[in-house]
Parts: sequence; structure tokens; C-alpha cells
Amino acid sequence: MFKWRKWVRILHRDFGYVAAGLTVVYAISGIAVNHTQDWNPNYSIEKSTMKIDPVPDSLLTSETLITDILAKVGEKGKLKSFFLPDSNTINIFVDGNTISVNLKKGEISQEKITSRAVIRETNFLHLNSPKKIWTFVADLFAIALAFLAISGLFMIKGKNGIKGRGAWLTAIGVFIPIIFLLFYYYKLL
Amino acid sequence: MKNIILSVVAFLFLVSNSFAGDGNKYGKDLRLKEKTKISAILAAPNGYVGKKVQVEGNVVGVCEKRGCWIELASDKPFQKIKIKVKDGEIVFPMEEKGKKAVVEGEVYEIKMTKEQALAAAENEAKEHGKKFDPTSITGPVTLYQIKGLGAVIK
Repeated sequence: MFKWRKWVRILHRDFGYVAAGLTVVYAISGIAVNHTQDWNPNYSIEKSTMKIDPVPDSLLTSETLITDILAKVGEKGKLKSFFLPDSNTINIFVDGNTISVNLKKGEISQEKITSRAVIRETNFLHLNSPKKIWTFVADLFAIALAFLAISGLFMIKGKNGIKGRGAWLTAIGVFIPIIFLLFYYYKLL
Repeated sequence: MKNIILSVVAFLFLVSNSFAGDGNKYGKDLRLKEKTKISAILAAPNGYVGKKVQVEGNVVGVCEKRGCWIELASDKPFQKIKIKVKDGEIVFPMEEKGKKAVVEGEVYEIKMTKEQALAAAENEAKEHGKKFDPTSITGPVTLYQIKGLGAVIK
């Protein structure tokens, strides 16, 4: 006689091992991107302001204007480029820092960005930024998760199995999203 | 078992490498052979609405939260244009700010009433931590942007 439950357990176990790493990646990123209203899940952004003496008109076209400003803010990163949004302002782009200077008022604001280690990488994979073959890997992972969920229902026999306690717990798990859909999506309750 | 694991890892490494992009390429390949100056679009935007263009400029702004837009500096001072991409389809990292980009996309217009323009300006000021000046909006506003389809940033 074909022992299907034995095979369900074997497959559930081995698929589970393979899926463990990716599940952790998706779980970390899931929490991170769940709170985008409250934080930036990819970068830590540090904003600061400082004052310098207003730059006289005679120095506005000076070749050393940018290097002078960088020296004043103590920025030693690699200069990428600059932009003039209006006649009074210059934005200087340095590796990891954007320095915006109101030349007439002498107001400097800086925006330093630092990539969030590990979390940014998990977001990159979770949100399928690589596209290409990662799309297929992520699809296979999703199929594996569905298999793990369904096979998990039938692994155990008896009063704790799907015909007993398992049925109630499974029902709770199914009703949770349904209740939220009724509340928030259909607005019926 | 070890051989199976090593084979799978080697296969994934080879396949992912063979599909890997240049790192700074986003979305679809660039196809247009001629570039359009951003200043030309901004000078007569109606003539470009609905048309595909390829533009070039330094990246002077990146969407902080979702990487769903960038702003390119024009070839003339004090001008820039926003490149909006479909959320999630292309994600521009913030490290691209300050680099030179070549972008292809379709020019489109957004017409806003005074109230909508006020709300948008207030929201933008809030996002950038700047003081909102309601007097800066005096009437209905029409914005011109590019729906980004592909980009190469160096």
C-alpha cells in the first residue's frame, strides 16, 4: 500500500529545509516594507543644517566655490556633480551626501544617506528588483510555500490532525484575512 | 548530497551571472537614436505630449521612499524634469543622485486645479522638510513629466 503520508512528510521536510533561508529573507523584508509610512526601509537619511557667511555675488561664479563649500562642511567624499535649482541655490552631489546651499542667506542643508545593511538586500530580493531569473526563483519559492502550507495540513493523524484540532486552527487562519477584507476592503462590518 | 548542493549553487551562480545586467541599466533597453534636449521639451511641452523621447541629464533628485521617480537637470540652468516610473517596475537607488542618466520615455501632462496644486506643493514641501509657501501657487498648474520606460545611469 502506498504510504502517502510518509511521502508528504519527507517532501515537507526537504522543501522546508530549502525554503528556510528565503523565508527568513522575505520575513525580514516583509516587516521592513510594512512600515514604509514610518521609515525608509532601504536607507537611513540624516538631515542637518548649518550657517555660513553669505557668499558675495563676486564669488558666485568662482571656480573654487564648490571646493570652498565642501571644505566648510568638512565633506571629503567624491564630488559627482552639482545643480543650480535657482539663481540663489546650488546643490552639490557627493558620494552619500547632498549639500544644498542658499548662497545669499548662507544656509546649508545636508542629507546624508546610508544604506541599511541586510534589510536593503532583503528588500531588493523580496520586491523583485533584480527581475530576470530571480522572478522564476521567487515563483518557485511561492509554489514551495503553497506546498508547505497544504502538505503541513496532512502531516499529522489523529485528534491533533486536520480532522481535529488542526481543523479549528486552520479555520482561524483562513478567517483572519477574510475578516480584514470584510472590514477594510468591502467595508461591510 | 554535497555534490547536489554544489551543483545547484554552481548552476544558480552561472545562470544568474549570465542574466545579470550592467548594474546601472533600468527597465527597457534604450532604442531611440536621437536625444531631445530637456530645455526643448520645457520650452514647448505641448509639441512633445504623447511622444517618446530620449533625454540626458544629471540626476538631481530621487524618490526617497520607493525609488519611483528621478529628476534630471536640464541642459539649461534652473530647469529640471521629473521622470516617473511605474511603482515597483523600476526602482532607482538613491546612490544614483548626481550621476549622468540617459532616459527614454513618453512625455505627458498633469493638469491640476489651484487646490490640487496647493495640496501637491504642500505635500512636496513636507516630504523635503521645507517650509510651504501657499503664495507660490497662484492658479491652476500644468506639469510636464516623462513616463520613464528605460534608463542607463553612469
